Amino acid sequence: MSSPTRAFATIDRGTATTAVALIGWAGGRHRLLGATAGPAGVPEWALLERVRRRAMAADASLVASVGLEREGSAADLPRLECATSVPRELAVVAATERVLKPLAAVAATAGWRVRGLVIEGADILKLATSLADRHVVAILAGASEPPGADERNLIAELGTVVAATTERRPDLVTVLAGGLAAPGGKIGQLFRPDRPGPTMLAPSPLDDDGEPLRALLDGLRGEQDDARRALAAATRSLARVLRRRVEVLEIGQSGGSRTLGGWQPGSESWVRTASVPRAALLPKPFAEADLDAVIGWLPVAADRLRLRDRLREMATAPWADAAGEGAVVRLAAVRAAAVRLLEATPAFDALPAPDLVVVAGGTWLAGPAAAAALAIADVARRPGARAVGMDHARVLAPIGTIEDEDERARLLADLRDDMIVPLGTIVLASWLRAGRRAGQLTVHGADGPVDVELAPGSVELVDVPPGEHANVELQFQEVVDIGVKARHMGLVVTGGLGGLVVDLRGVPLRLPDRLEPRRELLASWQGAVWPGFDQ
Amino acid sequence: MTGLAGSMAWLAEVPLRPLVVAGLEMSIPLPPGDRPLVEPGTVVVPGDLLLEHVRDRRVDEVDVRTPQGDRPPAGSRWAPAPGRRHHADRPADGELLTPVPGKAGRWRLVTGEHRAQTAASVRATVVEVRPGTVIRLRVEGLAIRGAFAAGASARGRLELATDPFGDLRPGGIDVGRSGSILVVGSRIDAEALTRARAMGVRGIVAASVAGKDLRDFQASERRQRAALHMPEPFGVLALDGALRRRIATPVAALLERLAGHEVALLVDPPALVFDATGVDLPIIPPDWVRVRGGPNLGAEGRIRELVGLRRFAAGVHLEAARVDLDGEPAAEIPLGDLERMG
Repeated sequence: MSSPTRAFATIDRGTATTAVALIGWAGGRHRLLGATAGPAGVPEWALLERVRRRAMAADASLVASVGLEREGSAADLPRLECATSVPRELAVVAATERVLKPLAAVAATAGWRVRGLVIEGADILKLATSLADRHVVAILAGASEPPGADERNLIAELGTVVAATTERRPDLVTVLAGGLAAPGGKIGQLFRPDRPGPTMLAPSPLDDDGEPLRALLDGLRGEQDDARRALAAATRSLARVLRRRVEVLEIGQSGGSRTLGGWQPGSESWVRTASVPRAALLPKPFAEADLDAVIGWLPVAADRLRLRDRLREMATAPWADAAGEGAVVRLAAVRAAAVRLLEATPAFDALPAPDLVVVAGGTWLAGPAAAAALAIADVARRPGARAVGMDHARVLAPIGTIEDEDERARLLADLRDDMIVPLGTIVLASWLRAGRRAGQLTVHGADGPVDVELAPGSVELVDVPPGEHANVELQFQEVVDIGVKARHMGLVVTGGLGGLVVDLRGVPLRLPDRLEPRRELLASWQGAVWPGFDQ
Repeated sequence: MTGLAGSMAWLAEVPLRPLVVAGLEMSIPLPPGDRPLVEPGTVVVPGDLLLEHVRDRRVDEVDVRTPQGDRPPAGSRWAPAPGRRHHADRPADGELLTPVPGKAGRWRLVTGEHRAQTAASVRATVVEVRPGTVIRLRVEGLAIRGAFAAGASARGRLELATDPFGDLRPGGIDVGRSGSILVVGSRIDAEALTRARAMGVRGIVAASVAGKDLRDFQASERRQRAALHMPEPFGVLALDGALRRRIATPVAALLERLAGHEVALLVDPPALVFDATGVDLPIIPPDWVRVRGGPNLGAEGRIRELVGLRRFAAGVHLEAARVDLDGEPAAEIPLGDLERMG
């Protein structure tokens, strides 16, 4: 990829669907020729041929100029490929709940499904059986540094149980963290040096917000072409290209990820990422609380048992039942998954707020683009103004597999307008007092100014088409929080398929506990961006 | 590039589900305390013993001294010294779980009084034996994969209790079905499942089992297994999922041909295994499709052509195909809702 290639393909192999795109060199830059997706298992050549055929129908001369006029030619193109795999299970074991909690929280953001176990008060047989379970492929054992009074007399037991498990399963990767990893510690001596599985020493989950431990655990997963790692690399480059802070929220069938990339003049771009299997569309195990969470976002009535069965079907055939109520159920499940993702990554909220939020992953495509924009406003409740876009062609992660950052950035610079569909801008205000009127919004668009009365608790939608910018004036009666505290504010917002969303529903979003009024409220919001969603 | 002939290559865009698979690997849990009776490489046939299961697992502490004075690894077997075996206060034999911290030579031992032997339900080769974890077997023969299963792997004579569309009511099961694996059509409820188990049926194969019925059955199964007498293995296999639909015609045709044959119902992975000798697999036309999701769930037909993106209910745009469904006028169905079989 060091010199411009006439055409190449990107392949993102998800656990539910495979997305492909064709990218060609035309007019002195790379262009996205087309993209599509199909159920996992459908051959990639068939999907590539579908894209090629459609591109030919749309602009035959462009396609011919990149050498793709021949049937089947797309299948032979060079490719950028990445894949998402089903997360494997990591047993996290500590002496007490107090110690387990931070360890498990870090592990849960490193792409592992976490099985948390504590020694204190445990039935040793159940504990050993759980550790030896065949689904567990690695163990993270940890202690405070130095061990606390509540765990000191349990640490010997902890070491013994973990060491015995590695004798039963010599291939298990074992990570000792925090107090257990102290140099010259006795615990490490319990492990047989000749066993095939490595024993690794790791930092405490409290060091540097858990980032060093998270990086180590993420590396343990292997999976060279991991799409979520690639997405993080691409986000970093995108932040550099756009000279903005970019947050990518990805929800997939097997997990979700949250990545924040930033750029500052004169310094290198940075990225922080978390891969969270619990943020899967339908996490495993799928508990009653997970079902409640989906029901809590549904704008239509649903029988609980039937919905559970429907979600079970969605887990086995995630590409099926995607129209009608199936789409509404999916978008409710996406919201529930996004909430789990944001709750698992509280440290991100302490970082500077993003200027652009990009949603990625096939699940966000369940409904219209504007409905996806509202879904983000529903779950990401950080006051401020931010543009929202969608990685509709799922090319971001494959581009992240390019190792050279400069080359990656050049490609993203070429493709940025093609690959990110603008959904619009969300302006989210908090600190609004209850009352009839909160203030006024004036949008200075191409067709002259438009005034909109703002009421607390409402969502106002203003049509600002994709590709357009609008000057917006916000005048509130009281000081509010829109990222900064002010009464009067002027903003330049970018348009999108969802336009401008001014969200005055407060932070956090409070919904009625009773299902019926809750559904009515959700339906009233959703109906504004998704006409006919309940057909 | 495709198994489809050139003019039919477009059919590759419709998800394909194999009718049968070969070389399936099955797993049998082997929790600490259970004793494997096979070794890797062993070829087992139905009825061969695989493991000894301790039904009342408990932990005792024992002194473990080897003649050489070295430390045995966790997971190794231990038995009391000869001559002391019959003392009531002495521990029985078992598996070493973990050393007792701070007490040299002292170990926790998983043991129990009530033991049951588990036999193979299929002809297979043992791939892996990992004490305290799992036994893995590579199954001989062909398998029809299911969506999920519950209960225990079992073996029996395949019988068709209903047609592919039918339901089996509890009253329709009697002791005459004892020892069989019953194909019950579209659906079965928890009451019929528990009656089938009580009547000595070894397994149930249905197109779908609702989640509530499955959970009720699993709760009943746990109670059965906690009882003093070990019940005969009984399993339930849902071929397609949780929502009601008929058994796919090619699968139903294959099950008809297998009627009267010995088959095995596996739980992990969910599958029905059979000896393919003398069984002709049904021939499935390449354009045959079945609806996997959405409003026409379970309907079958012939796919005519791909029609590209179409707008469906709730304004969702999806890739679609025109399909003649069950003799009805051609309809446009989302591609994701269709499956081929072959």
